[in-house]
Amino acid sequence: MTMMVGLLAAMAIVLRASSGSAQTTETAAQQAFKEDVHATAGLTCAACHQGAPATYAALPRTAIAPLCGKCHSDPAYMKGFDPQVRVDQYTQYLTSAHGKRMSGGETRVATCSDCHGAHGIRRVRDARSSVAPLNVVQTCAKCHDDPVRMAAFGSRATPVKDWSASVHAAALLKRGDTSAPTCSTCHGSHGATPPGVTQVANVCAQCHVREAELFRASPKKAIFDQIDQPECLACHGNHRVEHPTDAWVGFKEPAVCAMCHDERMKGASTITATQKGLADMTAKIGAAEVVLTRAERAGMLVDDGRAALRDAREHEIHSRVLVHAFATKPFADMADPGVRAAQESQTVGERALHELQVRRRGLFAATVVIVGFLVTLWFKIRRLGGAGGEPHA
Amino acid sequence: MASDVFVARLNSGAPGRRGFLNWLLGAWAAGVAGSILYPVIRYLIPPEIPEASTQSVNAGKASALALNSGRIVPFGSVPAILVRTAAGDYRAFSATCTHLACTVQYRPDLEHIWCACHNGHYDLTGRNIAGPPPRPLEAYQVNVANDELIVSKKP
Amino acid sequence: MTSYQLRAWLGERVPVADIVEALRRKRVPEHRYSIWYYFGGMTLFFFIVQVFTGGLLLLYYRPSAGEAYESVQFIMTRVPFGWLIRSIHAWSANVMVATALAHLFSALFLHAYRRPREITWVSGAFLLLLILAFGFTGYLLPWNELSFFATRVGTDMAGTVPGVGHFIVRFMRGGRDVTGATLTRLFGVHVAILPAIATALLGLHLFLVQRHGMSVPPSVWEESRRTGRATASIPFLPDFALRDLFAWTVGLALLAGLAAFYPWELGVKADPFASAPAGIRPEWYFLWAFQTLKYVPASVFGVNGELLVVAALGIGAALMVVLPFVVPDRPHARRVLVWFAAAVLAYMALLTFLALRAQGGGPTP
Repeated sequence: MTMMVGLLAAMAIVLRASSGSAQTTETAAQQAFKEDVHATAGLTCAACHQGAPATYAALPRTAIAPLCGKCHSDPAYMKGFDPQVRVDQYTQYLTSAHGKRMSGGETRVATCSDCHGAHGIRRVRDARSSVAPLNVVQTCAKCHDDPVRMAAFGSRATPVKDWSASVHAAALLKRGDTSAPTCSTCHGSHGATPPGVTQVANVCAQCHVREAELFRASPKKAIFDQIDQPECLACHGNHRVEHPTDAWVGFKEPAVCAMCHDERMKGASTITATQKGLADMTAKIGAAEVVLTRAERAGMLVDDGRAALRDAREHEIHSRVLVHAFATKPFADMADPGVRAAQESQTVGERALHELQVRRRGLFAATVVIVGFLVTLWFKIRRLGGAGGEPHA
Repeated sequence: MASDVFVARLNSGAPGRRGFLNWLLGAWAAGVAGSILYPVIRYLIPPEIPEASTQSVNAGKASALALNSGRIVPFGSVPAILVRTAAGDYRAFSATCTHLACTVQYRPDLEHIWCACHNGHYDLTGRNIAGPPPRPLEAYQVNVANDELIVSKKP
Repeated sequence: MTSYQLRAWLGERVPVADIVEALRRKRVPEHRYSIWYYFGGMTLFFFIVQVFTGGLLLLYYRPSAGEAYESVQFIMTRVPFGWLIRSIHAWSANVMVATALAHLFSALFLHAYRRPREITWVSGAFLLLLILAFGFTGYLLPWNELSFFATRVGTDMAGTVPGVGHFIVRFMRGGRDVTGATLTRLFGVHVAILPAIATALLGLHLFLVQRHGMSVPPSVWEESRRTGRATASIPFLPDFALRDLFAWTVGLALLAGLAAFYPWELGVKADPFASAPAGIRPEWYFLWAFQTLKYVPASVFGVNGELLVVAALGIGAALMVVLPFVVPDRPHARRVLVWFAAAVLAYMALLTFLALRAQGGGPTP
């Protein structure tokens, strides 16, 4: 028992308290196991541990994955709990950077329990699970954000703050979109491996289909292949995928085009046209928004204008996607109707403001007539002077 | 005031002036009546613009839509997608992707609805089957009358 | 045919000569409170405006949950001068409530309800309740968020009545909850049932006013008795009628100005499944009752607080209707009534003020 505690404590120091290895006593392990998915499925301690409880010992780290795999790779067995369940995790693990090293006897790499825990394992869809979308980044970061640990493998640490600054993190954390990509979305979970230069575009294309299609059909594709540039990463980076801005197109900081292009090179006209198209559309949409808001504040209904502006915004989004065609025509085909829609929206707003002027002028004219009538009526009443006269009956 | 000019005249009590006062009063009254009647008559004339009803829209000729194809039609101020399945059924949904509000499209090769922005897939009942969309598309009703497709909100 | 012959021909077929003669001979007392005589006429004017603009709105309005909001939007944006007609209808409704209240309180403070005008008062009191009912039923018709939830709260109050409460709520809503069925129901009440009742009552009210003539306040009457001088008066035709016309035209100018500078808002379309937005409120003339509900504890001596308010409002309305029969025609009783009415008025004003301050904005759009 003391030996087990000592060993576990040593492991805990090495692994820096993963949720699974924190159980230092039997009671703590039992406590945690109560809510474990295996306990819910009717399994007991003896499913993993052999012998009497008093003699339970920590498993050697190299033995953990094979132990889990014993059941989780057995389709016939697993089907008894969930007919849809996958059984390839162990096979996947063996292909991962973690699994390969572990098989080679390197025990400082992650195995099942480092990510899933040991006695308190929950389903991925349970928000409290260490591998649920909102938690998985912190789980990976336990090791990958640690420069000392990663240096042992000749790698640099991947700071979590890079991902946290990304548009993906914003989608997950700010908007609560649990389908937004985390570490495992791009690197895989059980088969976690960094995608290679040639594969990275395929990873991005899982969600950014349209951009990938456009890019592959564009002249850039062949050039990037030639100079061995990773397709998406060249401009967007990898972990720190920031929200792109229109200023990225151009020749001056922070333009990403400027990394390779300048004004004198071939293709400069395409860059200039795209830059101008984007700027034009943004300006027009901004102007339309101002006019519409003014009209609305004045109490006018400008739903047509709003609809046109929505249309313009959608064209703006698509135009930004079409930047990836790296050609003038497809971009202009999308951007021009957007500019027109924004212009139409502005016209609607201006017409509403004009209409307001017309209303006020109409009211003024009517008021003049009414006041004229009232004044004349006043004289008429004064002239009648009916007061006094006969006594009230 | 327009009538201020007449003050002196009006205040003199000669009988001829009374006639003038009545005439002036009548003229102003006609003006007031006119400024009431003008908007009312304009209001009564139905506007040229077709009514913007978002309850149902005419989505064009049924025969113009080929088998296994789709079309985006305006439904009020928002887009709707009209699909003719490979089996020949007509289906209609809101075309606004439930993920980030892009407009979806029909993919004849996949035989279902697809959103280009983030690779969201919906089946032919509007259910989100793959990709990031969190919810199904709102389904509309399609009726065919005299080869005209009528798309309407489900009651 | 000469004009004389024409008049004779018409007079035989439309025999109103004696009524015209009576009107021609009718006189209206003229004294320091005469100004209050005009509020009844103003209310009538706004009522006519309501009937007129309401009829126009019916040409384009569609009373169903799916189309009501869109059709009002259509009126406001597409129909020429639709914004004017709708804004005038909405503004006139509000101004009418104000003038009707002014009319009621002036009749009360000038003691015009005394014999033989009891029925005039009762019909007027019912007309005021009808105006409030018009306001309540009309509020929901644009089917926007604010009115949807206000109607839900408003109808819910009736549920506190013991025994029949739930039935009343169901009856008013046309179902268990506020739905399209409620809209159709309130629409029918607003444009057919209430106008029919109001027209009949208004006919009676106007007939009685014409037959009885204007009431002279006891103080003025007393004064004239003391001095031995008859109360001054002016002929109804044309003097008083022209003054009425003057007031009406001022009312018209007011409506046009309000509509042009503050077009009535449409708001957001009601979504029965959305949660109630912040700052839902009824129309301003119900605010004092709304605010009272907030102050009354949930339970007072074991009785539901809301029920107490509903009961108090019911008793108040009943007292208002039967007022001429419970106030004896004695100076002392009249003084008590004046103080009591002043207290009620002050209470309503104070709570309306508190409600407005609580929501940090005026009741205007």
